[in-house]
Formats: sequence, C-alpha cells, structure tokens
Amino acid sequence: MDSLHAIGFYASSGVSLLGGLGVALLPRRDWRGAALALCGVGLAGVYLSLSAGFAAGVALICYLGCALALAAPGYRQIESAINPLWRQLAGIGAGALLVLLAYSAFKGDFVSAKFYGGAFDTAALGRLLFEHDALATEAIAALTLAAAAGGAAMWRLRSRTR
Amino acid sequence: MSAGLVAVLFVAGGMLALGAFTAPWRRDLGAALASLPLLFAGAGIALAGVARFSATGNHELAGQEMAVLLAVAALGLVGLGVGLAGREAPR
Repeated sequence: MDSLHAIGFYASSGVSLLGGLGVALLPRRDWRGAALALCGVGLAGVYLSLSAGFAAGVALICYLGCALALAAPGYRQIESAINPLWRQLAGIGAGALLVLLAYSAFKGDFVSAKFYGGAFDTAALGRLLFEHDALATEAIAALTLAAAAGGAAMWRLRSRTR
Repeated sequence: MSAGLVAVLFVAGGMLALGAFTAPWRRDLGAALASLPLLFAGAGIALAGVARFSATGNHELAGQEMAVLLAVAALGLVGLGVGLAGREAPR
C-alpha cells in the first residue's frame, strides 16, 4: 500500500471509529443518525483505500439509509428492562473483546500475498459481474428498472389525485 | 507510511468492540439496533483487508463481495427493526 492510500486508510479509520463512538454515546436520536452517517462515510473511505471501490459505494448508500432510518423521529421508543449491572458487565466484556482482537491482530501469523487488482479492481469486478454472475446482475438491473418505473408511476398517480 | 493487515484488523476489532458495546449499553432498543451496522462494518473491514493483503489465487474479490453483502444486510436488518418497533401515535 502506498503512502497516499495509507494516509487515506488511517484518516478514514479515524472518521469511522469517531462515528461509531458517536453512535454508542450520543444522547439524541438525530445526532446518533448523523454519527452513523459519518461512520458510513469513514467506512467507505476505508474500503476505497483497500481497493474495494464497489463495496465502498454500496456501503455508503446502505449506511446513509441506516442513518436515515435511525434518525427518523417517528419510530417508537422501547425501553429494555436490563439490570444496569449487566449493562456495565457487557461494557467491560466489549473492552475485553477489543483487547483480545488487538492481541490476535498483533500476534497472529498471517499469509502475505501480492495484490494485482489496482486501485478500484475494476477488471476483477467486471469479470465477476458480467461473466461469472451475469444472470444475477441482469436480474438486479431488471428489479431496479421495475422499482424505478413503479416509483415514477406512483408519484404521477399521487400528483394527479392532489 | 504504510498500512498492513495488522492495522486493518486492529480497526476492524475496534469497530466490532464498539458494536458489542453499543448493543447492551443503550436502553432504547431502537438505539441499540444501531450496533448492528457497527458490528457488520467491523466484519466487513476485516474481510476486505484479508482480501487485499492475504488472498491468493482468484479470490481477491471474495472479501469485497462479503463486505457488500454485510452492508446490504445491515440496511435490511435496521429497516426490519425500525419497522417492527412501529411508529409513535400522532399527538
């Protein structure tokens, strides 16, 4: 990984983890939604710096959708009746999980392989989508077309009835 | 400056731990639902990192495919959870 991608990776990781912290700790619903959107932007940056541009685009759209759904003011609040002691123990458990994962990342012996894909890996993506899984790609394209046509028809019907 | 699989796995572990912390920490179950995208983001980062630094043969896209699947699953599960929670009655 060259310096530019490494800087992008570290900056995006910071943004993503900051957004995650906001989701965990912020008190208001709309702030948490904005934090999740920030986390999605950071995640897309991480994927992009790892030469996974397609995943970056999909993750950005999906996480913005998640942020919109969670920031919406309409959904009902359901309070859980868990003992605060269990919640604190679970927090300690999450910290222990972080220590365990960090230890295994530092001490693990991983295979190292040369990556030939390039910055976006479009060649492999094209081979996958249009050669190996062409039928699935066409099915998704048809589904998207039908959804767009249905949405347009509904929008026209609604505007006529007003 | 460079980044390798260890740095990627460290970030993935941090994101997973944040998700595991959020789920029990939030009292509102709707807010706890936000832990799912965090958990899936951690898994996705780890998979994309392994595909980038350690994949051999013709499997360089496998991690990216799983990351896409996890992002879509996160959106679907959050939508399902918000839908199940229902809407507040109009005041």
